[in-house]
Order: sequence, then structure tokens, then C-alpha cells
Amino acid sequence: MRPAALVVLIAVALGGCVSQSISIRRVPSENPAAENAAAAESAAAFAAAAALAAEGETAQGARESKPAQPPITPADAPSMASYDPFERLNRFTYRFNARFDETVFLPVSNVYRRIPSPIRSGVHNFFGNLSEVDSVINYSLQWRLKLGLRSLGRFVINSTLGLGGLIDVAAKFKLPGAPTGAGTTLAKWGVRPGPYLVIPLLGPSTLRDGFGFLADYGSLYAIDIGRLYRGNVSWWLGGTNAVDQRANVDFRYYSTGSPFEYENVRFLYVRKRLIEDAGLRGK
Amino acid sequence: MAPMPSKVPLLEINIAMPWARPVPDVFWFDRDLRVWLSAQQGPAPLAIVISGTGSDGNTSKLSILRGALFGAGYHVLTVPSPTFPGFIVSASSTGVAGDLMQDSRDLYAALQQIIAHLPRRVRITDIDVLGYSLGGANAAVVKSIDAKEGKLKIHRAVMIDPPVSLFASVGRLDKLFAVSIGTGDDAIEILYRKLYAELANLYRASDRVQIDESFLLGAAATALKTDEEFSSAIALAFRLDLVDMFFAGDLYARTGVVVDPDHPPKVSDSLEETQRILRNKPFSEYFARVFAPYYLKQRPGATSASLIADSRLDIIGDSLRDNPDYYAQSNSDDLILDKRELTWLRDTLGSRIVVYDHGGHLGNIGERQQVSDMLDMLAGRWRGAAQ
Repeated sequence: MRPAALVVLIAVALGGCVSQSISIRRVPSENPAAENAAAAESAAAFAAAAALAAEGETAQGARESKPAQPPITPADAPSMASYDPFERLNRFTYRFNARFDETVFLPVSNVYRRIPSPIRSGVHNFFGNLSEVDSVINYSLQWRLKLGLRSLGRFVINSTLGLGGLIDVAAKFKLPGAPTGAGTTLAKWGVRPGPYLVIPLLGPSTLRDGFGFLADYGSLYAIDIGRLYRGNVSWWLGGTNAVDQRANVDFRYYSTGSPFEYENVRFLYVRKRLIEDAGLRGK
Repeated sequence: MAPMPSKVPLLEINIAMPWARPVPDVFWFDRDLRVWLSAQQGPAPLAIVISGTGSDGNTSKLSILRGALFGAGYHVLTVPSPTFPGFIVSASSTGVAGDLMQDSRDLYAALQQIIAHLPRRVRITDIDVLGYSLGGANAAVVKSIDAKEGKLKIHRAVMIDPPVSLFASVGRLDKLFAVSIGTGDDAIEILYRKLYAELANLYRASDRVQIDESFLLGAAATALKTDEEFSSAIALAFRLDLVDMFFAGDLYARTGVVVDPDHPPKVSDSLEETQRILRNKPFSEYFARVFAPYYLKQRPGATSASLIADSRLDIIGDSLRDNPDYYAQSNSDDLILDKRELTWLRDTLGSRIVVYDHGGHLGNIGERQQVSDMLDMLAGRWRGAAQ
């Protein structure tokens, strides 16, 4: 059975379960004990970062060996208004994505999250490892060879010692992952983000990053490691990858209840990318 | 931090209220009221926890309280604040949030619907209600309504960091905003530019490839160093919640501040300009242009002053004073209370309130002492604060 058909079946089945007035869904359980520990850890990280900041901004300058860039000033900040000429279409797509997420993506990823976490992280690492290939290509194109070598090293170590990418051994050798993509390469080459773009099923992006996504997928498809991208398993693999990605993103459409959610998401997404761009010019 | 269980099961419940009005186009996603339930296997008391101003029923604060209460053997039902847009659209009978009694009535009605529709295997032996911030005041008022109507037979109520006067408290947040962020139409823009530059420089100086959660955490640590900076963060968070409430109120009350009552925005329309206008408006303007006009029309004989007085905890002062089942936790440095209000709480509740020295507004939720006192209060074991 083709996964597309499966998706439709699941949607219909779920639609059938939901009565008009009430629906009750099991969602992933919480682990307050672990969250407590994580909160304590992040509080410590917060305190450490605050202490570092208190040491003075000079510390930042001292670490920087590259020629000093003029600091970004408030006047350099882009306006709060958004460049969104495709807004009508984007809003439609955003709404479609929200509905799809609610009826298909999120329920499936909630079921997926019941799988024991060692198995899930295996799946996650496996896909992360495949995408290292794309990172190597793009770091090379960005002329950031040290990072490219790091990605290459990670790919080699994890594909062998890490049993085909299932275990992130490289992270234990102080080589943590730092994925990049064609969108960032285009940014490094000076291409501006362009209009905001909501991609079906994928979510917020920009025109530039949308092309970047196509290029990323295209190069993985062209290289076709282990015939995973063009062979019979490609549909299953793509679906699993999508569900794994979704399960690792802590976002729920319209959980803010706000009528301005489209505006808020657009604002935050575009600012995040612009800051990453601005940072890229200094790196 | 208080000890917590390692696994808390969670059900998400979406339920339509029979009295809900037609859902406005721009609120299409808020048709159902969404609440969360953590159920014990066997019979157990139910703790209903109400969220704070503008927040939904699954905030990180609620998550902490849920963990503590579930660990202590309660079924836990967490519900949004009546000022949360999702509640305003799906369950409010007015659409104009902020009236303590009316909001609590709507919440009480919604709770009856929810509890009537819980899965049958959830066996409830007793019902208690609690809430934090504005939700604390809602919790006490819900219990007082129930004392008259008797539909749920709520046993105890615990208020965590409640306001005494809604409008005085939000007035303080307005003032905080004016002092820490500014009053001009470009105050938010100036703050945004400052934050943008700060983040961009931090990111550039870091060796990170992507902006992620841990980067933002570090950035927050550098941006929030002083009490003033924390104050502006609190003021901004409140303002962003107000924008949604203002919009919904203006739409439902047909007051025409930003929403043309005859041509409300469609789902495909841009709301950027509307949002820009609203984020410069303080709560006092919501009160003067939406809330008061709406309620003055609904309640002949009412005045602005009487509307403000009606949203004080005094309206249930007698119950708070005489009924031993109301409890409260507060902090002497809570910025939503002044000295007089805190004294009023102490005088009214007597030994049934504990006031901690530090914690600010909600800063000590989840701490060992707060949790164990809260559980003692809920279980009727509370014997007054240790002297």
C-alpha cells in the first residue's frame, strides 16, 4: 500500500472517531521528574550565561579572532512590518497545514512518540546522518571547510561505528551535529530571503529557503545513498522521516488561540532567519 | 523543587459548549474548548486547576502543578483562563472578558459540561478547585457560585498569587509597561530594535550555526539582568495577551475600535495593521472603549466605578472570611498586589493564607514549600503557616 493511501485512511478513521461535540485523545504523557531535572539544568545554564554576560562584553571581543565587524545597532534592525506579497496564498496554506497537522500529522506523531525513546532516537539519528551528506556539500559551497570536515567526520564515524547512523557516536567524540543546507548557502552568497513563503506540509519559509529546500532534497535524491531515495522504500522512508521530524518539534498550531498567530509566526520566523543571515556575514 | 512523579498520563479533551455562539471567521480554530485531564486508575478526588490571564490550559506552570497534584493522588483537570481567546470564543457567554463574576459563571458552566462528559472510568470522590494569578480569583469565585448552585459540590479552593482587584492589578502592569517600555506609538518598535540588535550581536559572537532553544536561553540571560529588564518582559507578555483579548472583545461587543462591526475581517485578510494598533493600547483603553460600554449597556444602573468594584475579590469577601474551605498562597513581593491589598487578604483569610517572603508573581510555583503547603490546604491538613 502506498503511504499516501495510508494517510488518507488514517485521516478518515480519525475523522470518524471525532463526534460533533466532544473528542478525547490520548497525548504523550509528561515526565515531571525529568522535566524538573531539565529545568534545574537550564536554570544553571541561564545562571552561567548571565554570569558570563556580567563579566562584560569584552570577553566576547576577546574570543573573536577574525577582523572585528562593526556591531549591529538598533538602527540596522529590519522594520517590524513583513514582506509578504503572497499573503493570501500563504494564509490559505497555513490554514491547510494547521488542519493537516491536527488530523494527520500530530496524531500519527503522538502514536510514534509511544515507541521507546532509544528506538526513536535511533530513527532520528539515522535521518540526521543521511543529511550530513548535504551539510558537507553546502559547507563546501559556503567555503566553511572546517565545518564541512566536521560533518564529513560525523558521517564517516556514525555510518561505521554508529551502525549505519543509528547511534550518534561522533557527538561523544566532541563532534556535535551542526546541520546546514542550501538556503544558508544562498544566504552566504548574498541572496536575500525574499518574500515570506508558507510551504504546504512543511510550514514557514522564505522564497530563498524554499529553493534551498528543493536543492537539498534534489542533491540527496541525486546521490541516492543506498538507493534509499529512489528505491521502493523511499515512500516509507520519507513518511517516517516526516513523522520523526514532526515528533521532535514542540509546536502546536493555534495553541496560542490568537487570531494573530499567522502574523506572530511570520514575524518570529523571518527575524530568526535575518539574524542568522546577519551572523553568517560575520562568520 | 518538589519531588515529582516520573510519569503523568495526559488526555486532551476538545468539547463544544451547547451555548456557544457562531464562531467568527478569524477564530475558526477556537470552536471547541480544549482542556487536559490526567486521570488516576482508581477512584480519587479531582483537582481542577485554572490558568492565569490570557493563558491556555496547558502552560508550563500548569504542568508543574499537574505533576505535583497527580503525584499526590488527584485526578487533575487543567483549564484555560476565561480571558484566553480559545475560551472567549468557545465558552464565554459575552465575548468580553475581564468581569470576575461573569467570567467565573461561564467557567462554572463549562466545568459542568466537561465533568459530565469525562470518560466513565474516571471515578471522582471529591472536587477541589485551584488556580494561579487571575485563575486563583476565578477558582474562589467558582467555588462561591457552586456553594449556591450545588451542581459540582466543590469542596476546597486554593488561590495561588491571586489579585485582589483585577483592574488595580492590570493598572499596575500598564504602568510597568509605560515605565519600562514607554508610552509612545513606537515604544514597542524601539524595544524590538534594541532586542534584535542584541540578539544579532550575540549570535554573531557565538560559534553556533543555528538559533535554537539553548541559544535563546543564553540570550535571555544576557538580556534579562536587572529587575527593570525582568519587569519589561512581564509587562510585554501581559500586553501581548491583552492584544488578543482586546481584539476578541471589540469583535463581540461590536464597539468598533479596530474591528468594523459590519465588516469583520475574513480568514484570508491581513491583520498586521490591526495588531500594530492594538499593541500600543493599554488595558485602560480596553476598559474605556470595549469593556465599560458593553457592560454598562448590559447592566442598567451600573457605573464605571461599580464595574471596577465588582471585579474585586470583595464580592465574595464574606465567604472568604467565614468559610474554612478557602485558602490562599501569596508572596510579599508580588508585583500585582500593593500593601493594602495584601493586608486585606491576610485579614480576610486569617490563618488560611500563607505569604512567602520571596517569589514575586508566580516565581515560586513548584518549589518544595509552595507545593507541600498547597497539598496540605487542599487536603484539609493545613494548620496555619509555621511561625
